[in-house]
Amino acid sequence: MDGKVIVVTSGKGGVGKTTATASVGAALAQTGKRVVVVDMDIGLRNLDVVMGLENRIVFNIVDAVNGKCKSRQAAIKDRKIDNLFLIPASQNDNKNAITPEKMVEFVKELKKEFDFVFMDCPAGIEQGFENAVAAADEALVICTPEVSAVRDADRVIGLLYSKSITPKLIVNRIVPEMVERGDMLSHTDVLDVLSIDLLGLIPMDENVVVATNTGTPIIFNNQSKAGNAFKRIGLRLDGHPDLPIEVPSTKSSLWKKIVQKFAVKK
Amino acid sequence: MIKDNPVVKLKGVGDSLWITLDPAQPVDVIQKEMDRLFNRMKHLAVNARIIIDTGGKDSKEKSKLVQELGFYLKEKFCVGYVSMPPRQRVVDEERARKKDVSRSWEHHKNNVLMLAGRVRSGQKVVAKKHLLIMGDVNPGAEVQAAGDIIVMGTLKGLAAAGQPENEEAIVAALVFCPSLLKIGGYVAGAPSLQSMGIAEFAHVEHGEIIVEDYLKAGFFGKLPWLEVR
Ligand SMILES: Nc1ncnc2c1ncn2[C@@H]1O[C@H](COP(=O)(O)OP(=O)(O)O)[C@@H](O)[C@H]1O
Ligand SMILES: [Mg+2]
Repeated sequence: MDGKVIVVTSGKGGVGKTTATASVGAALAQTGKRVVVVDMDIGLRNLDVVMGLENRIVFNIVDAVNGKCKSRQAAIKDRKIDNLFLIPASQNDNKNAITPEKMVEFVKELKKEFDFVFMDCPAGIEQGFENAVAAADEALVICTPEVSAVRDADRVIGLLYSKSITPKLIVNRIVPEMVERGDMLSHTDVLDVLSIDLLGLIPMDENVVVATNTGTPIIFNNQSKAGNAFKRIGLRLDGHPDLPIEVPSTKSSLWKKIVQKFAVKK
Repeated sequence: MIKDNPVVKLKGVGDSLWITLDPAQPVDVIQKEMDRLFNRMKHLAVNARIIIDTGGKDSKEKSKLVQELGFYLKEKFCVGYVSMPPRQRVVDEERARKKDVSRSWEHHKNNVLMLAGRVRSGQKVVAKKHLLIMGDVNPGAEVQAAGDIIVMGTLKGLAAAGQPENEEAIVAALVFCPSLLKIGGYVAGAPSLQSMGIAEFAHVEHGEIIVEDYLKAGFFGKLPWLEVR
């Protein structure tokens, strides 16, 4: 059976697409799934750095898509997790080095070998976005509780629907103290506007920065709230869609649960 | 007795100048008469709001005439906004009452664009006449209509009703907090548009966009009989 192709996108930059791609990918691979994460941010690659694999790069996505190497050669095996692979972006090409049509062909091959193909989308809605979205079956939209991020996520959601892709939402970098003080949008404020299925809520967590800098998966840190939230997102994507979503809160041991599930009916 | 009906009459009505004229007269005769009256007013005409009343029923010819004269006045005397009278009360009243009894609206074909769903950031919906959205208009989205805009939901984006120049148009929403509001040529910005958590509507009154509690104002409920909008 073919694997699932999921694009991770947001419109706005710096909201946590790369972090989410690496973390959810790692979480699923750790449960035994065969996972490949593809860095589609051509010219600005950094998924390899986040995963601590930058010194193993020989081939990249542009080589693979244009037939300069086999997909197997471009896929770098993770150092710590067996079933996890990375296809890095190229650093020197520009976004026109690949086309949506070629991506569709290439991803067809990847689907045969992997249970999950995650694509880390660049910011914006131009060529790089088109390339990443062309071959996707599903989309994870990452949004932070900021007005500008919500605006961009909303735009992207409209575009995804127009391409017959149903997006799911991850709200990242939630600071519960600020939400409780009323200084930050709550996840319900965000959902009111975006109105799509919620897949997870990730708190702001210093451990993420540490993990990113050392190239270790945040899901290895059992103390990390963000890491645990990413693990639960992995479960929701694979066999446990109804796992309750925890709302980040200042009371560390008490997790509030979301009663309302936002389902967009067709 | 000699019937002495001047070709062009001018009087001040509220904040505008009301011109009554005989549309049967040749254009150059009307213009000459206008010249005479406006020259006398001098700078008072500059930027003034002008209503040109041709009497009787509206027709295509008359609107064309009004448009032509409007251009003329703007060009020559720098007047502001030129329009026809808001409604031809007397004639319409009779007709409207008849409509009520005969239920003529059963044959009325109106151009209401009714959409269900959510208008998202970056999307723009344009209606040829009225626009009814069953759903929300998100921040960054835009809805535009030649007539009214009604949102059965939350309005947070930009709403432009009565485009390009129908000041009778309204904008209504259950939760009313548009980022920007236009009705005809009037514009209102966000600061005065904080939602009160009740159904509100905006309309132009005395040259200003006013936002009111929809139910309390009873704007349409006060109309004496049913009218096709
Ligand atoms: N939940 C989080 N808590 C703290 N820092 C985070 C979190 N998510 C992301 N970051 C940080 O935010 C920055 C941008 O994240 P990144 O995943 O690179 O965003 P994008 O790929 O969308 O541009 C990175 O420095 C990352 O470490
Ligand atoms: Mg990135």
